[in-house]
Amino acid sequence: MRQAPILVALAFLPGIGQAIYFRDKVSWQSPIPASEMVTVAQARAWGGKAIWVDARPDAEFEQDHVSGAVPLNEDRWNELLPRFLATWSPEKRVIVYCSSQSCNASREVARRLKDEAQLKNVFVLEGGWEGWLKSRK
Amino acid sequence: MAQVAKVKFLWRIVDLIIGGVFIYAGVIKALDPIRFASDIDNYKILPWAISVRLAFYLPWLEILCGLALIARRLYLGGLSILTALTSIFIVATIAAKIRGLDITCGCFGHASKNWSFTGHLALDLAILAALLAIWTHEHTCRNRLFRTARLEPVCRDIV
Amino acid sequence: MNMRTVRLFLAVTLSIFICPIARAELKWEQTTVELHPAVTDKEAVGHFKYQNTGNKPVRFQSVHTSCGCTAAQTQKDEVPPGEKGEITATFKIGDRTGTQVKTVTVDTDDPVNATTVLTLKAVIPQVLQINPGFVFWGQGEAPKPKTIVVRVGKDFSVKQLKVTSSSPDFETKVAQTGKGQFKVDVQPHDTSRDMAATLTIQPEGSSKTFYATARVTNVPAVQ
Repeated sequence: MRQAPILVALAFLPGIGQAIYFRDKVSWQSPIPASEMVTVAQARAWGGKAIWVDARPDAEFEQDHVSGAVPLNEDRWNELLPRFLATWSPEKRVIVYCSSQSCNASREVARRLKDEAQLKNVFVLEGGWEGWLKSRK
Repeated sequence: MAQVAKVKFLWRIVDLIIGGVFIYAGVIKALDPIRFASDIDNYKILPWAISVRLAFYLPWLEILCGLALIARRLYLGGLSILTALTSIFIVATIAAKIRGLDITCGCFGHASKNWSFTGHLALDLAILAALLAIWTHEHTCRNRLFRTARLEPVCRDIV
Repeated sequence: MNMRTVRLFLAVTLSIFICPIARAELKWEQTTVELHPAVTDKEAVGHFKYQNTGNKPVRFQSVHTSCGCTAAQTQKDEVPPGEKGEITATFKIGDRTGTQVKTVTVDTDDPVNATTVLTLKAVIPQVLQINPGFVFWGQGEAPKPKTIVVRVGKDFSVKQLKVTSSSPDFETKVAQTGKGQFKVDVQPHDTSRDMAATLTIQPEGSSKTFYATARVTNVPAVQ
């Protein structure tokens, strides 16, 4: 039966056409990984190899934050991003945290760092700020 | 004779419905191939490089085979490809569920992401059942033709 | 039966169907509001109108939003029967981009519909899309230029782009590469030390400013 191979071959035409149209819009070799989570224990183990990013609103950062953490939130992204990028270096791991598991800010900040600044090794802290507080005791 | 015509008509309707379903499913996926690529990747069966190429190819294959069913051109080819695709897809979905993966797409791409797992599976099995039913009907017709050299009235449009 | 009677009859029968069969006492005009703020807006405000269609007053027990960037205000704590009101959700846009979806969860003492989730969808207009927003060189890496692609949003038309660097250590060159597309080539003078610059990208005719960052890091680039 020759019919199946004919269909299989015909489908290549629009497929290739579409692939050509999208050729610059898609990553052909590796996927953009989903937000990677990291536990507090693991993050602590990285020690000086980690940069901590606080995605919470300014007021909460002022009150208390992970020592050495850099504030970076979506309210003042344009102002805070260059400051963060000036301290970043490619061999460090970036850990973004916000209020708790349900807060979306850390995921959004992590996503923007990966998509817009094209940083690698960006992680979201599992358990967030509350998780960190618990481990401090 | 009216009975025969009715049966033929019913099989034609099944063709049209199933063909239409696959054309619809194909178009939905062709409209957002990047999203489809990450949906395929979620099954964690194929490497990304293959997933992304499949995402550009499969929807068009579905659309063409759906058209084949409706236009009754390259009919058996289309039928066999769709049956193979649906079976592979059902196996992959069950495998993903067993491995505990979160799949947000079914046959219908991201449009169906709010359906439950069982809802999806039921629909896919129903589609597979319809495809196999069409197969059996075609097979029976061609077998009879081969053995008796006589074309049953119900099968008369397969040649 | 003349036209008037027919119309009256139709109105009455239709109203029987349209009248809420739902038993919910607090009825919302819409639970999803889509907003399209302008480029220069700092906030997007959504109005969620409700009416108490029951015969008992409804009290709001709590109203909380999905993020700190959205504030929700009820005009009153208790809604008498028949009264209308609205919950205003104010979303601070800040430097957010794309389509932002925020929710407001409203808890009431209505036994039928205790909790309602109101959804605020804000489509933030994107004048420019800058990709990537960050270019960097490792220490000792050849100081070759790196390119930032700037695409103009389809609802906007930008004829010229002005790019300035905050530090003379980085040079920038702008060229138009197509309709609604520019490229900015960034090049450091040398890569022997740690330095950074903020590139200010100003589309001609727009008051909104965009930024990108250029950096030479203090370690060699990792591959």
